[in-house]
Amino acid sequence: MFGKGLFTGLGITLKRMLGPNITEFYPEEMPNLPPRTRSSMGLDPEKCISCNMCANACPNKVITITSEKGESNKKVLKSYRMDVGRCLFCGLCTEACPTGALHVTQQFENAIYEADELKWDMIERAGKSRGRGEQA
Amino acid sequence: MGLERTEELSLNMGPQHPSMHGVFRMVVTFDGEVITKIEPKVGYLHRGLEKLAESRTYTQFIPYTDRLDYLSAPHNNMAYVQTVEKLMGVQLPERAEYLRVIFAELARIASHLVFIASTALDMAGWTAWTYCFRDRERILDLFEMSAGSRLTVNAMRIGGFNRDVPPEFWPALKSFLDDLPEMMEEYFGIFYGNEIVMARLKSVGILPKELAENLSITGPVLRASGVQYDVRKAEPYGIYDRFDFEVPVRYGCDSYDRTLLRLDEIRESGKILRQAMRDIPEGPVTAKVSKIIKPPAGEVYHRVENPKGELGFYIVSDGSPKPARVRIRSGTFINIQMLPIVALGWKIQDLIAIFATLDAVLGEVDK
Repeated sequence: MFGKGLFTGLGITLKRMLGPNITEFYPEEMPNLPPRTRSSMGLDPEKCISCNMCANACPNKVITITSEKGESNKKVLKSYRMDVGRCLFCGLCTEACPTGALHVTQQFENAIYEADELKWDMIERAGKSRGRGEQA
Repeated sequence: MGLERTEELSLNMGPQHPSMHGVFRMVVTFDGEVITKIEPKVGYLHRGLEKLAESRTYTQFIPYTDRLDYLSAPHNNMAYVQTVEKLMGVQLPERAEYLRVIFAELARIASHLVFIASTALDMAGWTAWTYCFRDRERILDLFEMSAGSRLTVNAMRIGGFNRDVPPEFWPALKSFLDDLPEMMEEYFGIFYGNEIVMARLKSVGILPKELAENLSITGPVLRASGVQYDVRKAEPYGIYDRFDFEVPVRYGCDSYDRTLLRLDEIRESGKILRQAMRDIPEGPVTAKVSKIIKPPAGEVYHRVENPKGELGFYIVSDGSPKPARVRIRSGTFINIQMLPIVALGWKIQDLIAIFATLDAVLGEVDK
């Protein structure tokens, strides 16, 4: 019978219309992202040993690290910058980190207004997120 | 009056057009409503991936392969890492091989769901689109919880995986597979069984078997033209020879069969996933590979069955940590050449249907 397919489709739609709602009400309700989600990078400056392995692992030269020699000839992190505009969010830098200082975070609201804001000062960001009581 | 005459109309479609699946452009010439000539113009999404590979190490190029056919990123990862592994002669742990099959088949289902959704959308069927995307979301959640990203998964490494999937992955996968038959019934009811869809797709855009073979068409487009050819069976890679599955084939050669074949493939992928889930052993997921990857000098070609066609990587190594040359053989780039031949003589709305059933992803076409 012509039109049978149309009515079958309408029946499915009607059934789903009366079923449970599956929409996420973002931004009123924040999604609960799994801990492996690579939405941003976070740095724990105390753990960082300035070994430059993250910068070497990066395909796009996003990370720039400067360090200075501290007591007992150990490297001390001076600045840690990421040019996120070039970042692929592939997570190779966090995999390369031997101490777990650089890690992925689930902070996905990264929209900004100015291009300069894409240059992240990771030490400053770590301080800010600690001020808000979040995990760095 | 001698000055009165009919003229052919030239119409530019794309690169920004709702039904162009990205940034594909074609210049179509019409005689009245009938297409007389099509000139496809590609390259709007060209990022020079093959050249970029030469300045990246072997591992650093893996995230770039995600951006080829971005609807099934694990397939591109797999094609690339398996090519490098073939060159290096790496033997993978069993668990990693099984996980690769699971990721690849999940990506195949996700990619075909987008295909059904976008074809429905091109036929102005908004509702079917939402159903497919609702279910694809569950696959993307599986990718996210195990690899950390939904679309550009970047899950595989040379020598296996960077880490094992979390324990919550398995119940989520099982529940998805349990719901799969019901989902497919819904797609059939809401899209395939619809009379409007049938009228728009049946007998439209006939691609005869001989033409398909002569044009080197691969993937579901070829199989819908009656050729039972699938790299997973013809030249099994990984551990695909251990699974019991059929290669779906249809003989209609038209747009409707090309669409329906994707549904058959989802069913077969579900079968492979169930077997992989049952047989997967415990153990490590990474083979012992040195941190700096330096394949021996030489060249290698390896191909896999992408949801859209045959995806091949040709790598030349000079023994340094960076490839000397990478060449990508992408399925859709070659499949798209059927368009100027097959769509001749059809009307503009049929052209949309024919192009939709090609399932072109411009990331892979333009590279």
